[in-house]
Amino acid sequence: MAAPGLAAYLILAALVFTIGLFGVLTRRNAIGILLGIELMLNAVNINLVAFARFEADLAGLIFTLFVIAITVAEVGVGLAIVIAIFRVRRTVDADHLNLLRG
Amino acid sequence: MTLTSLIVLGLPFASFAAIALVRPLRRAGRVAGWLSIGAIACAFVAALAVWRAAPGTEAMWAWIPSDEEPMVTVGVLLDELSSAMLVLVTLVSLLVQVYSLAYLEAEPAPSLGRYYAYQSLFAFSMLGLVLSPTFVQMFVFWELVGLCSYLLIGYWYDRPSAARAAVKAFWITKLGDVGFILGIILLWGATGTFEFSALFEMARSGQIPLAGLSLTMFLIYLGAVGKSAQFPLHVWLPDAMEGPTPVSALIHAATMVTAGVFMVTRTMPLFELVPGVLTLIAWVGAFTAFLAATMACVEADIKRVLAYSTVSQLGYMMAAAGAGASAAAFFHLGTHGVFKALLFLGAGAVIHAVGTNDIFRMGGLFRTLPRTGTVFVIATLALAGVWPLAGFFSKEAVLAGVLHGHLAGPFVLLALTAFLTAFYMFRVVFIAFFGRPHDVHGHPHEAPPLMAVPLWILAGLTIGIGLRFVIHPPEGEHGPAWLAPLSLGLAAAGFVLAWATYHVRIVSAAMLATLFGPIDYLARRRYGLDALYAGLYGAFILGFSRLVGWVDRYVVDGVLNVLSAWTLRGGDVLRRMQSGQPQDYVYGVAFGVLLLFVWAQFWR
Amino acid sequence: MTLETVVFGLVALALLGGSLGVVLTPNLFHAVLYLAGALVATAVVFLLLDAAFLFAVQLLLYAGGVVTVLVFAIMLTERLIGERITQTNRHVVNGAVMSAAVFVGIAGFIVRSSLPAAESAPADRTVELARALVGPFAPTLELLGVLLVAALLGAVYFARTED
Repeated sequence: MAAPGLAAYLILAALVFTIGLFGVLTRRNAIGILLGIELMLNAVNINLVAFARFEADLAGLIFTLFVIAITVAEVGVGLAIVIAIFRVRRTVDADHLNLLRG
Repeated sequence: MTLTSLIVLGLPFASFAAIALVRPLRRAGRVAGWLSIGAIACAFVAALAVWRAAPGTEAMWAWIPSDEEPMVTVGVLLDELSSAMLVLVTLVSLLVQVYSLAYLEAEPAPSLGRYYAYQSLFAFSMLGLVLSPTFVQMFVFWELVGLCSYLLIGYWYDRPSAARAAVKAFWITKLGDVGFILGIILLWGATGTFEFSALFEMARSGQIPLAGLSLTMFLIYLGAVGKSAQFPLHVWLPDAMEGPTPVSALIHAATMVTAGVFMVTRTMPLFELVPGVLTLIAWVGAFTAFLAATMACVEADIKRVLAYSTVSQLGYMMAAAGAGASAAAFFHLGTHGVFKALLFLGAGAVIHAVGTNDIFRMGGLFRTLPRTGTVFVIATLALAGVWPLAGFFSKEAVLAGVLHGHLAGPFVLLALTAFLTAFYMFRVVFIAFFGRPHDVHGHPHEAPPLMAVPLWILAGLTIGIGLRFVIHPPEGEHGPAWLAPLSLGLAAAGFVLAWATYHVRIVSAAMLATLFGPIDYLARRRYGLDALYAGLYGAFILGFSRLVGWVDRYVVDGVLNVLSAWTLRGGDVLRRMQSGQPQDYVYGVAFGVLLLFVWAQFWR
Repeated sequence: MTLETVVFGLVALALLGGSLGVVLTPNLFHAVLYLAGALVATAVVFLLLDAAFLFAVQLLLYAGGVVTVLVFAIMLTERLIGERITQTNRHVVNGAVMSAAVFVGIAGFIVRSSLPAAESAPADRTVELARALVGPFAPTLELLGVLLVAALLGAVYFARTED
C-alpha cells in the first residue's frame, strides 16, 4: 500500500470531527460539551496540517499554530464561565442551563 | 319668474340651514320659530306672485355630466300645476307653523328649535318636489320629504310608539320608493332621458317603446302607492298620528301624502300610454277609499279617524286620476288640503283643550268650545261634500270623471264611500261635540289666538273657494244631471244615520255593528294588514338579518379568528425552538451545514 | 505496506479510539483522560505530516495545559468524593444520525474532489515558520498576544470569588 495520501488524512479528520460533533450534541455535562469541541478543533488542525504538507503551503502550519493558541484561550475562558455558573446554579447539567429559553 | 320660484324654494332652505347650523338660534326655541315663520311667509308671498303671473317656464342646469349632453339636470318647471302647489304648500306650511307656536308652547326651547328646523326642511323639500322638471330631481326631493316625515313623526322620540311609527312610515314608503326608482331607471333605459318635457314630447309623438312600458309605469306608480297611502301600503298613515297634530295637518293631509297624486297627475302623458295601469290605479284608489272609510267608522281616536279619512280621500284622487280626469283629481287635492288641514288643526285645538284623543272621553264640547266646534263642523260639511262648500264641487268633479271613464265598479265604491264619509265624520261630531260631557280632565278652554287665527283663515278659505265655484261653476266635465243630487243625497243619508245613531240614539250602534258583523270585525282589526306586515317583516327581513349576522360572526369574523389563532399557535410552536439549550442550537447549525452540503453538491 | 502506512493505521486507531472514548464514556474524568490520549495521537499525526514544531506545541499546550485545566475544572465542579460522576447522554440516536449525516456530506466532498498527490517529504520547516511568524505574520502574532491577555483577564474575572 502506498503511503497514506491526503484523502486518508482528510477522512481521518472528518471522522474525528464527526465524533466531536456527536459529543457536543449528546453530552449532558457542560464540560463534556467542551471536550467535544476540543475534538472538533483537533480535527480541523489535522486538516490544516495535512493540506500544508501536501500543498507545500506554510500557511496551514501558521494557521494551526494560531488555532491552538486560541483554543487554549477559549478553554480557559469557557471553563471559567462553567465554574461561575456552577457557583450560582450549583449544577453544570446542560439541560438545566436553559435561562435563554423563549 | 324663475328667480322668484327659486326664492320660494330658497327661503325655507335658508331658514333650515340657519336653525340647524347656528346653535344658539336653535336653542332659543321661539326665535327659531319666528324665523321659520318669517321665511315661509315671504315664500308664500313669492308663491302668490308666481301664481298670478302667467306660468309656463322651465329652466334647467346641468348636474351630472355625460358625453354630449348632461345625463342629469336640475331645474324648475313652472306651470299651473306646480304654481298652484307652491301656493298650497306655502300657505298650509305658514298656517301650521304659526299654529305650532301655540300648540307646542310647552316644549323645551331646544326641542322647539329642532321642530322648526324640520318644518323648514320639509317646506323646502316639498317645494322642490313640486318644482321638479325631471324624475331624478323629483326622486331626490321625494326621499327628502320622506326623511322629514320620519323626523317629524318621531319628533317626540322618547316615546317608543312614536319612534316605531316613524320607522314604520319610513319602511312602508320605502317599499314604494324601490318600485319608483326601478321604474325611473327602466324608463330611462327605454327613452334615454329623465326630463319631463322631453318625455312628454316623446310620448306625444309615439317614440316611447310600448313593450314593457306597463311594467315601468306600474313600478313608478308604486312610489305613489307608498307615499299616498294606497292599499296595501296605507298602514303607515294611521300610525303616523303619533306626531304632533300640526305635523299631521301639514304632512299627512295637505302636502306630503299628496305628492303621489301630484306625481301621477304630473306624468299623466306617460300614464295615458298604458290605459291598463290607469284602470288599475282607479280600482285601487276606489277600493282604498272604501276600505279606509269602513275603518274610520269604528275608530275612537279622533286623529285616527281623520287619518283614515285622508287615506279615503286620497283614494278618491287616485281614482279620478286613473279614470283620466287628472284635473278633477288635482282639484280635489287642493280643496281637500284646505279642509283636511282645518279638520286636523281643529282636532288639535280640541286635544289641546281636553287632553285626550278619545272621542268617547269628550262630549258636549260645542258648549265649551263654540268657535272650535263651528270651524270643525264647517270642515266636516266640506268633507261630506255639502253644497256650497268647496268639497262639494271637487267631489262631484271626481265622481263625474270616474263616470266618464266608464268605470262602473269604482264609481259604486266611491258613491258608497261618500255615504260612509258623511256617516263617520258626523259620528265624530255628534259624539265629541254634542251629547253629554264625559269626565274631562282639566277644564277645556278655547284655543289661544295663535291657534285660532289659522283655523279661521282655513274656514274662510273653505267657504270662499266654495262660493267662488258657486259663482263661476268649474270647467271640465260635469256629470249627468242626477250626479249632484245623488252625492248630496248620499251625504244627507250619512248625516241622518249618524244623527239617528249617535245623537238621538234611536238606532243602536251595537245593532249596526252586528248588522255589518264581518266588516265590523275586520275593520276593528284593520283587516289584519298590520299583523301581516309584522309577520312578513319578522319572518323575512329579521330572518335575513339574522342570517347576515350569523355569516358576519362566524364566517367573516371566523376567518379572521382562525387566521389569528393560527398565527398565535404558529408562534407558540416556533417559540419551542428557543429551548435555551445551546446543544439544540448546534443541531440547527449542523442541519444548516447539511443543507449547504446538499446545495453545494447538487446545485452548483 | 510501508512503515508509514502501518504507523498511520496505528495512530489513526488510537485517535479514533480516544475520540470515541471521550464522547461515550459516562465518567467525565475518564473522558478527559481519553481526550489526553487522543491529543497525543494527534501530535503523532502531526509528526507524520512533517510538522515537528507543531508536534511539540500540541503536546505542550494541548495534552499538557488544556487537559490539566480541564481536570481542575472537573474537580471544582463535580464533587469527586462520594458522588458518582456520571451522566446519561441525551438524544443519542438523533445526535448519531446528525453526525453521520455530516460525515457523509464531508466525505462526499473529499471523495469527489481531486486531491494533489503526495510529494516528496519537504525539509523541516520550523525555521521557515519562525521567519514567517516574525515577518509577514507579526501583527497577527501581536494580536494573538492581546487575545491571550484578554482571555486571561476574562478568566480571572469570571473565576474570582465574590467578596
